Amino acid sequence: MIVENTQTQMRKGILEYCILSIIAKGETYASDIIAELKKAQLLVVEGTLYPLLTRLKNNGLLTYNWVESTSGPPRKYYILSDEGRKVLEQLDTTWEELAFAVQTAIGDRKSK
Amino acid sequence: MLYKQLLGTENQNNLKLLSIMNKTIIININGIVFHIEEDAYEILKNYMTEVKRHFSNSADSLEITTDIENRIAEMFGEVLLKDNRQVIVEQDVNQVVEQMGSVADFENADNDNDHAPYISEPDKRRLFRDPDDHLVAGVCAGIANYFNIDTVWIRLAFALFIPVGGSGLLLYLILWIIVPKATSRADKMAMKGEKQNLQGFKKNFEDEMSSMRQNISNFGDEAKPFVYKARDFVGDFFHHLGVFFNGAGKVLIKLVGIFILLASFSAAVFLVVMFIGILAFHADFGDHFFPFRIIKNELADQVILTSFIVAFIPVLTIILVTFKGIFNVGSVGKSTGTVLLVLWLCSLGMLIFFATKIASGFREQATLTETVSVKPTKNNTYYLKLNDLKYFSKEDSIRLDIKNKFKGIVVTDDDYNDFHNGPRSVTLYVERSDVSTPRLEETFRANGANYEAALYNARNTNYIFAQQDTVLKFDYTLRHRPNMSWHAEEVFLTLKVPLNAKVIIDQKLDNYIQGVNLYECRDLNRRDNKANFTIYTMTDNGLQCKVDTGTVAKKDSVAIDTAKR
Repeated sequence: MIVENTQTQMRKGILEYCILSIIAKGETYASDIIAELKKAQLLVVEGTLYPLLTRLKNNGLLTYNWVESTSGPPRKYYILSDEGRKVLEQLDTTWEELAFAVQTAIGDRKSK
Repeated sequence: MLYKQLLGTENQNNLKLLSIMNKTIIININGIVFHIEEDAYEILKNYMTEVKRHFSNSADSLEITTDIENRIAEMFGEVLLKDNRQVIVEQDVNQVVEQMGSVADFENADNDNDHAPYISEPDKRRLFRDPDDHLVAGVCAGIANYFNIDTVWIRLAFALFIPVGGSGLLLYLILWIIVPKATSRADKMAMKGEKQNLQGFKKNFEDEMSSMRQNISNFGDEAKPFVYKARDFVGDFFHHLGVFFNGAGKVLIKLVGIFILLASFSAAVFLVVMFIGILAFHADFGDHFFPFRIIKNELADQVILTSFIVAFIPVLTIILVTFKGIFNVGSVGKSTGTVLLVLWLCSLGMLIFFATKIASGFREQATLTETVSVKPTKNNTYYLKLNDLKYFSKEDSIRLDIKNKFKGIVVTDDDYNDFHNGPRSVTLYVERSDVSTPRLEETFRANGANYEAALYNARNTNYIFAQQDTVLKFDYTLRHRPNMSWHAEEVFLTLKVPLNAKVIIDQKLDNYIQGVNLYECRDLNRRDNKANFTIYTMTDNGLQCKVDTGTVAKKDSVAIDTAKR
């Protein structure tokens, strides 16, 4: 139970970072994000992505454009806002620090 | 939104199968139409209900559920296209639900959101009607809870405002309607600003509100990206406004809010009273005021209705936004906002349409001139006076039996005053006559949709001019037939008098006479300062002010005279 919780926590922590990273590559549709996240095994169901995107958007990190679609309703294509770009840069730094920290910790353990 | 359109069309696809035929339903998901089997529809409906309930606590509930619905519609579209089918079956729905995730999956994901930096679960108070401490509907107690003061002060304030045009009573009634009653424990906790630790107390009210929003937002069926954008903009606007007010959260802003509310309420009450007054009781706001004068025709009711909507919706929006933004109560859903916006734009469009329609009645102008002979006077003197007698139409004189009842009595005009507020329809010029007899030229001018109509309007006016020996009486206004709408009728009078005629002009004509300045001339005759008339002489160059020395003042001497003083 505690292990599961820790796993979820770890995933959660990097989920937003990953979403921002995916969107940073260019205009992205929600299901493209899903596809990448599924590949990375970070997210299993689509439904959980929409609240996250809405929240990121309301915090000013994302904006989106409506694009007409042939197969259904108009689609929202997300892009990073200027602020989102800044946050992403900060997260990049944080991630490098974390990765270094984890590497160091694991390295110590594994080398024993 | 998801809703049933039609029941009972048979499943075209599986007609050949031996299995029991399933009923097919046509549903509409945000503008996209699908045929779906009844069983599949039930699953989908239950799923969407659960999803909506799950997100109903979130401020972005509508946006999230719309995103999900749009995605579901897209997935349906893809699966139908891939298999070349027309009807959604149970399996498709299950697949979609699996991909989208069940509410249990969402809840797992949410569990960790408590520590997320972006979610700020506010412990702020919310305005509710207090059902536990009420005299009438608990409005006062609710407000008192909101501001954390004793209920008695609020009640006192309302009681004090009841004599002020019933405004206290009205405000109470409006609040009674708008402010929700605290029904659940969560509501009561929010009302008193207690922390809500128990997520389980979902707000019935919010559920109801969100289902109401969904009903309204069906209008987005034919939605194009523009409408989506507009809706998102409205939603974002309210969202940020809400964030702003919550962030500031100062008493000052709430006071400003109360002030705005009071002002908007008075504006709303004023509008409603005007509207009902005009429509229901045909209250007469006078033909003299510009907007009422011009719309006195068959379009009047529509014009008044659309004007009312155009004016009322902004006021209503201010009230709702203030409630939502400052007191965090009531709900301006994105769709409600859009509906109001669309309604307002429609009314504005109609108003512009009416305006152009009315304006088209003024397109052409026509004039016609009649000459009235004036009897020459003995000593070539003419007194020009303003007529303030009341004239009756033929129907009125018969109805009032003027001949018998008012025998020998002069009826003066009630409407008349020195500066009556109608448009000036009479202009008087005095010129020299080429011949020895005086005469009056009456030039009528009016507008109309075309030349014939304009001419007809001009002809339908009547000007009353009367001569009694040396006294020429000029009426202060044009008379036109009752029930005729205003078409910018005007009359230009040119009185032509022979050379050297003495023209005495009453001071009251000052508003109507052109070409001479009565006050300037009167000032030259200082001894006659109290006189209410001015004397002129007709020369080759037109009227000249007659100075009391007896000589005709020339332009130069007038200037010097003025300079000396």
